[in-house]
Amino acid sequence: MALRELPSKARSSIWRDVRPCLFSAKPCFNRKVSTSANHLEDLESSSSFSVPPPSEDIVKSYDPVAQSKIRENQLPPSRYQFRPPKYYRGPLHPHQPPPPSDPSSRLFQPGPFTLPRLQQTYESTIAPDLLTLSYAHFPPGYKAPPKQQRLRSWEGESPYFKNRPLRGPRGGDTLRLLTAPKTFRNIPKITGVTVHSMVPEAAHDSANLHVAGMIIQAITNVRVQTHKARSNVTQWSLRENTFVSVTAKVEREDAFHFLAKLIDIVLPRIKEWKGVKGSTGDSSGNLTFGLPPDAVALFPEIEVNYDMYPPRMIPGCHITVHSSATNDKDARLLLQSIGIPFYGKFVN
Amino acid sequence: MNAGHRSARHLASRNGASICRSCREKTLSRKPYSTAAAATAADNTAGPASSSHIPPVTATAAQQAYQVRAGVVLSRPPLITRDLHPFEKAFFLYQRRLNERLALPFTRYFYVKKDTPADAEWKRKMKKRLTPARDIGTYNAYGNEGWNDEVLMGAQESEPEWQVERLLEDAEAAVSGGGIGGESGGAKGLQEGGQPAVPEVAAKAVVAEPVERPMPRVTEADKKGDLRSLDRLLQRTLYLLVKNKDGRWMFPDDQIVGKENLHQAAERVLIQAAGINMNTWVVGNAPIGHFSFNFPKPRPGLRQNVEELGGKTFFMKARIMAGQANLAENKLGFTDYKWLAKDEVEKAVTLRYWSNIKNMLAER
Repeated sequence: MALRELPSKARSSIWRDVRPCLFSAKPCFNRKVSTSANHLEDLESSSSFSVPPPSEDIVKSYDPVAQSKIRENQLPPSRYQFRPPKYYRGPLHPHQPPPPSDPSSRLFQPGPFTLPRLQQTYESTIAPDLLTLSYAHFPPGYKAPPKQQRLRSWEGESPYFKNRPLRGPRGGDTLRLLTAPKTFRNIPKITGVTVHSMVPEAAHDSANLHVAGMIIQAITNVRVQTHKARSNVTQWSLRENTFVSVTAKVEREDAFHFLAKLIDIVLPRIKEWKGVKGSTGDSSGNLTFGLPPDAVALFPEIEVNYDMYPPRMIPGCHITVHSSATNDKDARLLLQSIGIPFYGKFVN
Repeated sequence: MNAGHRSARHLASRNGASICRSCREKTLSRKPYSTAAAATAADNTAGPASSSHIPPVTATAAQQAYQVRAGVVLSRPPLITRDLHPFEKAFFLYQRRLNERLALPFTRYFYVKKDTPADAEWKRKMKKRLTPARDIGTYNAYGNEGWNDEVLMGAQESEPEWQVERLLEDAEAAVSGGGIGGESGGAKGLQEGGQPAVPEVAAKAVVAEPVERPMPRVTEADKKGDLRSLDRLLQRTLYLLVKNKDGRWMFPDDQIVGKENLHQAAERVLIQAAGINMNTWVVGNAPIGHFSFNFPKPRPGLRQNVEELGGKTFFMKARIMAGQANLAENKLGFTDYKWLAKDEVEKAVTLRYWSNIKNMLAER
């Protein structure tokens, strides 16, 4: 038995002898991007920014409008006035719509138009700090203990339990999101904002809903969606199938601009505002808070032409901040770091 | 002890110098304690002659160890947005003009009522720039020449400074429009309709109520080259570097004393090195990097019977919110300080130090 181990031991000891000289020779052939001197330079040495510009007279004589007017035979409109098909008729149809990234597509959305300040702050300051704060050290060779089965099996004598799908967890039939160990790849970030405004008075006078839509549109820079009441609730004077609310789903650049306006301009000016309640959240990283009508009127877009809106029709709204965090604790830390205060008992 | 073990021990002890310490100890101490005890018992029964193999239980020689030090990477985060790359500038302007072509027309009568001074102002501006957007230059998105949306060479439309100027111009004109509305200034400007009316109104506005300009992005500290100022390089992260007794630039650090942890040690180092006139926040309890060095000769340590081979510095991350460093009363023997960005840190510190700290510093 022991003799059988000998060849492997000898092999490893020989390898141990040889290894140092191999590693001393390493830099010669084991080249890495980070160790090479010019890893920061572009792959292509010449860029269009380094090429000298065209001469002065070429620049001065270039006039695209004049050139197009000189042209004798105009281009046929079918060449440049392309209209994509209104309906998708399947992959075999000869007339296919262009991809959504094509400006001629019906789904194309232009943008981005700016690089928001909040986004730059997140990338340069907030994200590294969040990673440092939530770092958990595991020694090398650590293996996470295997996860238990989260769904329960059916225990009992009943013959109907055989091959039955597993039972949901105790206290509810949905599984909560799992939180993965923090790495630089899964730092929580803001994925979007939903602004929602419910106007029950719209059942009597639809002007309320129109004003609410204009206001939410103005403060979010996004087209709003209207929603009908799903059921009759007499206490709230809701009637089924009447339009009662508007929402705007704000993403990317618009979300950063909206949050920056909210945090830097609106929230500091609300009188006697305690902050966002600590118990908010849907336990999967989306936090909601509300603004009263006089706080909505503080948005700069509303303030500049406040007189244009009919009196007493400015609505309040609910703001849901969606984050990629998988629990409320991480999401709260993210919102605190971008400047939203919380008060009261924290519920995770 | 079997043949395999014996040969491995033999080989390992033969070339013990070329393998690392932890591997060597692992190989040599593979014998579990139970077998050691058994061997001792066996030896005791056999006789005292063979007991010389068993190492003594208490070591009389000085224990060798490394100093544990806490360093602080105190940084000031960027205060303003970064300068955009020329490609980004051109891309953003292109997308804005594209948006102007694709968007629904501006709902003018919601925001501007007919036959008001604001309406006259609106018409005057639209005549000048042909589009509701204030920062994309003269461009008619809905006209026959809407395709001509590219910026010609040497044009300033994509520069943020130019766009800021246009926005300010617009704000100034708005002030003047409100002011002159009563005395039919807007209507006069419309009747003349020519270019001369516009600068006249704008100039009047500047005199009447100047719009506040944004602060310059380059500060006086940048122009003077004042490396001790916190107002320099507003777009970059600045790090506090101090000069130690040997004249080397480094992050402030000190040996950990007693039972304090890294976080407490970092706070103490900041106060002892740079004074109490700083509002700082030590981020988290875990270090973000480390640096180890050896002394030329082992030296006696703080604890008795311990010989120190060198030091291991663990760097804690900290942010400065307000205040400034002051080395006048520092207890750690630092003589000078600087606030440097990452690429300047590289020039200030030694190559070995740099290779250990470079990955914990932010690029921007």
